[in-house]
Amino acid sequence: MSTAVLQVRDLTVSVGRGDRRLVAVRDVSLEVAAGGSLGVVGESGSGKSLTLRALMGLLPPGVRVDSGTVELAGEQLPFAGAAARRSRRGRLAMVFQDPLSGLDPVYTVGAQVAEVPRRVLGASASASRLRAVELLRMVGMPDPEQRAHAFPHQLSGGMRQRVLIAMALASEPKVLLCDEPTTALDVTVQAQVLELLGDLRRRLGVAVVFVSHDLAVVRQVADELAVMYTGRVIETGPTKEVLERPAHPYTLGLLEAVVDLDDMGQPPRTIPGALPDLAHVPGGCPFHPRCRFASPDCALSDPGFRYVGDGDAERGTACKYPERVMAG
Amino acid sequence: MAVPLLAAENLHVSFPASHGQRVTAVEEVSLSVSEGETLGIVGESGCGKTTVARCLVGLLQPGSGTVSLRGEPLRPRRTREQRRAVQLVFQDPYSSLNPRLSVRSVLEELLVFHGLARGDALEPRCRELMALVGLPEDALDGYPSSFSGGQRQRIAIARALAVEPQVVVADEPISSLDVSVQAAILSLFADLRDRLGIAMVLISHNLAVVRHICDRAAVMYLGRVVEIGDREQIFADPRHPYTRALLAAAPRLRPGSDSVAARLRGEPPSMTARPTGCAFHPRCPRAEPICAAQLPELLPAPAGSSRLAACHFRDEKG
Repeated sequence: MSTAVLQVRDLTVSVGRGDRRLVAVRDVSLEVAAGGSLGVVGESGSGKSLTLRALMGLLPPGVRVDSGTVELAGEQLPFAGAAARRSRRGRLAMVFQDPLSGLDPVYTVGAQVAEVPRRVLGASASASRLRAVELLRMVGMPDPEQRAHAFPHQLSGGMRQRVLIAMALASEPKVLLCDEPTTALDVTVQAQVLELLGDLRRRLGVAVVFVSHDLAVVRQVADELAVMYTGRVIETGPTKEVLERPAHPYTLGLLEAVVDLDDMGQPPRTIPGALPDLAHVPGGCPFHPRCRFASPDCALSDPGFRYVGDGDAERGTACKYPERVMAG
Repeated sequence: MAVPLLAAENLHVSFPASHGQRVTAVEEVSLSVSEGETLGIVGESGCGKTTVARCLVGLLQPGSGTVSLRGEPLRPRRTREQRRAVQLVFQDPYSSLNPRLSVRSVLEELLVFHGLARGDALEPRCRELMALVGLPEDALDGYPSSFSGGQRQRIAIARALAVEPQVVVADEPISSLDVSVQAAILSLFADLRDRLGIAMVLISHNLAVVRHICDRAAVMYLGRVVEIGDREQIFADPRHPYTRALLAAAPRLRPGSDSVAARLRGEPPSMTARPTGCAFHPRCPRAEPICAAQLPELLPAPAGSSRLAACHFRDEKG
């Protein structure tokens, strides 16, 4: 699609050193339309957070991008060093899971938000302060003039997360990357933050990439969905279609495993086996030992990624036999 | 009425805060669980649910109020038998298992201490426990570090079951686990309840979990029980606005079941600044002046029902 603002192609990220290097993200391709929203779902070790960090150019030491490209509005982004930061500044911003560790305890939240327009956009100190209050108001902070003088510890978890979102938006990014931004919040507060993200996307036209382990949460913010398993994207498509009729057995398994508030008839169904660790990812299709649809040839060769026709919806799956899965 | 297996009566717990003040964490909490029954306690962080759990197992002494086992009040220092009867499963299986003890030594120590098995009888009992929680027998020789989160939680459950308890109190037993593993641990709990007839108190912030395996549920807000009753009464016909709000805010998989009507404003206030009257009134869509002035009692809703709700408007349907 030509309208993609963020395009990831064949991203491979590895962890560790020498012979013990493990591939944590393998050939991941994703795209986000301008003003669109993409949810990335997976369990621990699926590579979802590392993918996001690679996009942001924030990979921890010992983790490196082996191959692949990230393009923002058609321009390829470097992954490390000062160039990585410079190329993303004012265009890509990230909101982290833990709102307390993203804030400096010794500065007021207003000062921390104001720092962004001043440093990134070169605004004057007084204009930045006004802008900070405006941003805090935009993210739904009650009484923003007063709260700008508060220190992080004086705010609740939900309010801190709003401050972080305000900081991320202060640089007027094209894409907002969110790493489990509501996982540390209570449900009633989570609902508010999810609503805020949807609202900001509509009002500001900022695209959102939302990483989470929770399908029910992602459903509320993302139009498009990518499901990851053992470092690979195993299914993509419009959220609604994927959740209604998954084309990969792992997606189906995840959906069946969710303890759903509405579905009282069926007890949640367990995916047999356990998540493989990175050093022991099965050959062929990495999911085949746990798959109830598997054929012997699933263990032999990588299924690749194929597109499945489902009306107009553009959907992809890394399964050789999507028709078996889609038939239920 | 039959004497409940484990009951908390009018618990109050407060913790020291700065400037010589005390913060009330739990107020007037009474709840009970009967033989073979599963009680769920739901609420958001800071509502006091974990504090109640710690009182039930005796890890914490309430400031006032009693916990009794089969009608007999438990003293601050419980007897070995009493401790055996009430076991706890913690939220985080990474920090609740000693990393330097093999699974076998954890279980054997318990069995010997409580005089449940010794010598040659130890090994078969350990194997039996592994089978009970769905782990292979060779897991006995492993150390916690060699197990995944789900397996560790199974070990923690085996440890609780080793002493043949009458009640298991589980504090958020699945919330630190991956989605595909949560279902397995949840069905293990349901299975144990059905097969061994163990009573359970399940603490969770997740309404769906409580709905799936509990017979009764208690909803807590800022240290108080605001609604308690049979599962279906609570979920199908909630009478406290906070219960309704929790249900509305829970993320769901199916479209169409989203409800924005009862979305809450604001966040739970802190324990140090407890609102007057009904603590929920500043966030409540139904609040009227009386709510700020007068604390609603926990009373049957509707009248004569076994379900109790602490709301001035408990007779209204949602």
